[in-house]
Amino acid sequence: MNPVLSATVVFAYLAALVFVALRARMARDFDEFSVARRTLPLALIFGSIAATYVGPGFSISFVGRGFHSGFLFLFVGSAYAVQNILVGLLVAPRLRELKGCFTLGDAFGQKYGRKAQIIAGLISLGICTGFSAVMIKAGGVVLTDTFGLPTWLAVSLVAAITASYTTFGGLRASVITDAFHFVLFAILLPVTLLCAIFFHFRGGPAAFSAEAIAATLDGLRSTPPIEIVGLTAAFLLGETLIPPYANLALASRTSRVSKCGFITAGIFSILWFAVMTATGIMARCIVPSDTPEDHVLLELVRSLMPIGGYSLLLVALISIVLSSLDSLLNAGAVVFTEDIIKPLTALSDRTALLVGRRATIVIATVAAVCVPAVPSIIGGLLICYTVWASAILPAAIIGLWLKNPRPLAGVLSMGVGTLVAIIAIAIVSTPDFETKTRVTIIPALGAALAAYLIGHRFGKTRAGA
Amino acid sequence: MQSVILILVLIAAALVVASGVWVATALLRAIARPKTDPEEDAVNQRQPSPDDTSTDTSAATDAPP
Repeated sequence: MNPVLSATVVFAYLAALVFVALRARMARDFDEFSVARRTLPLALIFGSIAATYVGPGFSISFVGRGFHSGFLFLFVGSAYAVQNILVGLLVAPRLRELKGCFTLGDAFGQKYGRKAQIIAGLISLGICTGFSAVMIKAGGVVLTDTFGLPTWLAVSLVAAITASYTTFGGLRASVITDAFHFVLFAILLPVTLLCAIFFHFRGGPAAFSAEAIAATLDGLRSTPPIEIVGLTAAFLLGETLIPPYANLALASRTSRVSKCGFITAGIFSILWFAVMTATGIMARCIVPSDTPEDHVLLELVRSLMPIGGYSLLLVALISIVLSSLDSLLNAGAVVFTEDIIKPLTALSDRTALLVGRRATIVIATVAAVCVPAVPSIIGGLLICYTVWASAILPAAIIGLWLKNPRPLAGVLSMGVGTLVAIIAIAIVSTPDFETKTRVTIIPALGAALAAYLIGHRFGKTRAGA
Repeated sequence: MQSVILILVLIAAALVVASGVWVATALLRAIARPKTDPEEDAVNQRQPSPDDTSTDTSAATDAPP
């Protein structure tokens, strides 16, 4: 690899990113910082949702999964598409229709009361910080591997660059730069696949089908059914309505845009998983069979396009990381201001904007400091999925559908869900951590649902009935 | 059957690229809007009605810096 060319491509990319971020303009009030004045159109909502969920796990890891297990992960990943489509049909429009909501915690406040809003805010803030730490780690790995930077410097660069434009531009800057990142990787990575198919793959459709079938059967043989169930549950529930998505649902121009944004993003995820797993299958004929899972994509591109292509892929990978990270930082800052500070003390709009900006910097700093504690990219994501799905989803989804939900049910479900998820994760923190974490979501979610039902049975409505 | 799998993969790749082009178009509109006075922005801010089903990008892209 030519380091000068790589550095040139990366600096050109950063210059373009700065230009786009500046054009997104500075947020002038908290409404603009948190929900972009609820004016975002469908294409940008779709691009931002897709750019946020396509992180290192849905790109590098999916190519590795395709390499080892063929289309198995396309089928498992389809649960993610189902989740997005269901959110679009059933949840996002209802969320968008709530008046005066800036966050999912606001919805909790309207449905379950102030105490529930603060608890939901604390959980959301923790999740945003945790996800941010995972993304910063992934970005740090890319920069360290490419330029040989010390880890602390790579991590600091990723956190500082993303925090800078998110702090000043708020959600609008995050969405606009997400769209920029989406365009880059949605074009560069499929082109890698097409390049492999048309110029490097020998054997034609018959050879590709044979590799796909052989790899998928390998995957089915080597993956226990309980792990497939756990993974499907994690894909179905793990990222449902996490703060960045809830903010996008609330920032849509209309409830219809909110609905269509999630549905199109769900359909896109199937196409994306197909492209990523097919790239992995194609790599079986090009890179050595003992290549580690997370290095398959890098090795493939290195084989196909030794210099220029590798630099472009580097840009695509950085885009993938930053587009997820900026949304998480902005969502965390909005949650902190709206769900934790505002219920406790009255804030003017100007002060709320200032608190939001400072919170962005603090969250980025805390996440960067927490990077050494992240076990691995997939392991970190699985922990966040498990805690979020158990702590928030039962109360959020049932609360949006019930006319008079009981505050006790919401608080109990969040408390029990968080506690059981943390205990379950602590119990499985063994050498086989990642495999076991995939199934912890099931008991944790079950406990949260049971707690909700108990709270609903014995609690009173907010009117005291 | 053997060709079908590859054709489906090619269609998926083409649709992903098409999504990229669609978002690129919206992005260009959003960052290419004319600059006007911020005070005017507050006056001109269009509030869409709840039953507005349009997917046009004008509200976002017309908003001046």
